[in-house]
Amino acid sequence: MKYLFAATLALMGSTAMAEELTVWDWKSGDPAAASYIAAAKTAFEAAHPGVTVNFVMQPNDQYYTLLGTALSSGSGPDVFLMNGGAQAKARFGALTDLTAEAKGLAGLPEFSDGAVVHALPITIQGFVVYYNKKLYADAGLDPAKPPTTWDELKKVCEAIKAKGAAPCFAMGNKEGFGAEFFVSSLAASMLTADEQAAFAKGELKWSSPKMKAILQAFVDTKDWGWYEDGANSTAKFMDEYEMFMRGEGANTIGLLSDVAHWKQFGDMMGAENIGAFRHPAPDAVTLAADGGPMMPLAGGIGYGVNKAGKNVALATDLVKTLADAGPIAAFAKDAGILPANPAVDTSSMSSPTLTTILPWTTSAAAPMAHANASAAELEALHQQSQLLLNGETTVDKAAAALDEVQAKAHAG
Amino acid sequence: MSPERRTAWAFLAPSLVLIAIFRIAPLIWGAQLSLTDARGITPGAFIGLENYRELAFDPAFRDSISNTILLIATLPVWVCFPLLLAILIHQGVPGGRFYRATYFFPAILSSVIVGSIFNTLLRRDGAVNAALKLVGIAPTDWLGSSHTALLSLIAVQLWATFGMSLLIFLAGLSTVPQDMIEAARLDGARLRHLVWFIIIPALRPIIEFVAVVTTIGILTSMFGLIYVLTAGGPGTSTTLPEFLIWLELGKLNRPGYAAAISMVLFALMAGLAWAQIRIMQRNADV
Amino acid sequence: MSKRLLSIPMALIALSCLYPLFFALNNALKTNKEDILNRFGLATSPTFENFTQAWTRSHLSDYFLNSVTATVGAVLLLMLLASMAGFALAILRFPLRHLVFIAILASLMIPVQVVLVPFYKTVIAFGLLNTRIGLILSYTAFFLPFSIYLMTSFYAGLPRELTEAARIDGARFWQVWWFVMLPLGKPALITLGILNALYCWNDVLISLLVLQDKRTLMVGIAALRGEYTTNIPLLSAGIVLAALPIVAIYLIFQRQIVNGIATGAVKG
Repeated sequence: MKYLFAATLALMGSTAMAEELTVWDWKSGDPAAASYIAAAKTAFEAAHPGVTVNFVMQPNDQYYTLLGTALSSGSGPDVFLMNGGAQAKARFGALTDLTAEAKGLAGLPEFSDGAVVHALPITIQGFVVYYNKKLYADAGLDPAKPPTTWDELKKVCEAIKAKGAAPCFAMGNKEGFGAEFFVSSLAASMLTADEQAAFAKGELKWSSPKMKAILQAFVDTKDWGWYEDGANSTAKFMDEYEMFMRGEGANTIGLLSDVAHWKQFGDMMGAENIGAFRHPAPDAVTLAADGGPMMPLAGGIGYGVNKAGKNVALATDLVKTLADAGPIAAFAKDAGILPANPAVDTSSMSSPTLTTILPWTTSAAAPMAHANASAAELEALHQQSQLLLNGETTVDKAAAALDEVQAKAHAG
Repeated sequence: MSPERRTAWAFLAPSLVLIAIFRIAPLIWGAQLSLTDARGITPGAFIGLENYRELAFDPAFRDSISNTILLIATLPVWVCFPLLLAILIHQGVPGGRFYRATYFFPAILSSVIVGSIFNTLLRRDGAVNAALKLVGIAPTDWLGSSHTALLSLIAVQLWATFGMSLLIFLAGLSTVPQDMIEAARLDGARLRHLVWFIIIPALRPIIEFVAVVTTIGILTSMFGLIYVLTAGGPGTSTTLPEFLIWLELGKLNRPGYAAAISMVLFALMAGLAWAQIRIMQRNADV
Repeated sequence: MSKRLLSIPMALIALSCLYPLFFALNNALKTNKEDILNRFGLATSPTFENFTQAWTRSHLSDYFLNSVTATVGAVLLLMLLASMAGFALAILRFPLRHLVFIAILASLMIPVQVVLVPFYKTVIAFGLLNTRIGLILSYTAFFLPFSIYLMTSFYAGLPRELTEAARIDGARFWQVWWFVMLPLGKPALITLGILNALYCWNDVLISLLVLQDKRTLMVGIAALRGEYTTNIPLLSAGIVLAALPIVAIYLIFQRQIVNGIATGAVKG
């Protein structure tokens, strides 16, 4: 029996010697990513004859559990995909140094520990507010002039509420993402660059006046009736966005890449029927070049190389190909992602809303506050935000609970 | 060794080897892990009972335990509901074969399908509230309110899995000697007497089995529905230990701490199962 | 007459149990856009596109065979081992019997999540990673405690005279198992077969760890759920395809769980 196992093992080992690279992700089977993956695979295999690349799409809900199990057992794929921020940072120990390959890419902070880059970002992610032009017009608002200040946004929501056809914002907070997006959108304009950095280090507390003002704004907007009832049982992905697409919400905080963005809303609702604006904030201190609010922006997803892999040099080459302008152009075109690689040709992406948004990525970019918080803080924020929406806790109590988690997360 | 003992060990050996390798050994390994501060992918150093001490002060864990207690309190329903239906089918209620065929269907389908149906039915503007409105009951956000979320989740899971217990009860009912039932019938026994004095005593080992297995089931296999229906919220009102383990392992990357929660969950289930078996066996002896 | 009255709630429950199948089938016939705009409406222009896409482009056809092998192998092994062990624990008398039973019960209570890392390391240590035999053994080990417990409970509920009569007739212990207990255990064995087939077929976590290249059907389907969006029609098509074999097995075999044994017939 033992020999049989040994023989099987040897056999498996020898097939792997015929140079096969395994990539884990949760995207490669997605039709929108198909041409990107195919292009990268073709390009890489052409440059490295005899090597095959095997993309394995894993179930999203168990992805990090599986990855963690494999990595901590010293096995796992040669290359794997991860989300920027907390999830990437938890795996830096298993990743090689890709600093030399990262030159010129955007969205690096989410994939590096300051000095060393551990994964190459593929997409840029960010939040803007998308709005339904028809619902604006119906409420007597000018669809060509979205709000640029907090007071203007309040007036918009009052008008929409008075009309009564739909809530001002479609809101999904079942997983706590509604609160996450809200906090980052407001923090972009309400925090200074120094305060953002302090927040990332856990030095700006949730009970500080600034952070409490953000939580208070979340409660205020609920009290003003901006959201539909039952936001806590509505999933942001995709219940909230489906509501918005059905016209059951005048605004929604959406993404820049992947889904819930200019491309998806444009395809479903007609490109001429939607518009975008940057989320205004009360007491804004950081303003964009045009005097308007800032927009949270961060590295989205990225590929890294497993240190324990059989052929790290080859895997590094593969990640370079995956981050290369050529294959990503196909991804940008099909899925509507904003590439982290500035060399990508984006001329094929045409949408009036995207044309509005693109300049903001340079003129109005702010850090994405929640992506820099610890994973434990985010979990606590999810829970506290739901209690805030239900009126089961106060801003003071929620901030105190978050402080505790924040202190613990940054202590050890 | 007597032939009886020899046969017993020979019959048990393959099972015991498999269980020891794939179940018991990993458990011991897991217990060891729970005594370390393993984080992310680093193995972590030995920290004694520190994880368990932290658990005692972790509000999310405390909430998950009180949710578990509520869940356990509903256990009689999980056992009696399928038992009642199984007895009715066994006693030849009209259409019994059709019911036997259909009651199992929800168990076959993935929690994703069940979840997306109930997500919409239980919404604030969903069909359940619309029906309640007809009889003059105010709408409730079933999955979004801390008071109703856990009970809604339990109801959906019960509906989705009762078919399995029903099937086990039906198999158990097949051991009840038919001639005893017939004899009692001829003596003019009513159905409830039949159930109470003949069927339930004969079914005792199976009822015990279903109670124990259901306890374990509701504590370890609700993840699919929690993930789709409530994601543990609002707040921590539907966070069960099982969900917390997933959170600590997959999202917060703390395998050591997750292992400690698992050990507590294991102890909890073992205690409950032991209590159930004791209760049933005492009743049987009376 | 009270039986007729009971028919109403029982029929309502039956209807509610049929609905999800209808829901899945109906949604599988829609386009994604139609589904988002009207999830509960009837498919207005039914399309089989989702089925073809699930079957071919999402590679479910490749995964199907892996699922069949693992499920059939594990279920047969489970039925055999559980029946043997259940017979030993319920009928035979030997020292440490209680201890063995308690150990098996205890192993039933180990949450899968806790043993992920150690289990994975065990699989690697035995060279079973990415092998079908590894998955079959893993399934068997994971579902054995439940199966043994069920068989033990079932055999314990049988009248003791059955075994004793056979022993008096001069049968050896293995013959009692083979000629008396196996046939009598049919209802429980079939139940066990159905439930284990369902567990193995629907499992995601274990097969995710053991078979990382050659996946099983449910892993393929679980992967259809994206990070943000789930294409419900495509997923429904996958789930309908995956559910068909289980529905068929259930409908065929549940009839075999017959009502009542005739004790007299066996004794004679």
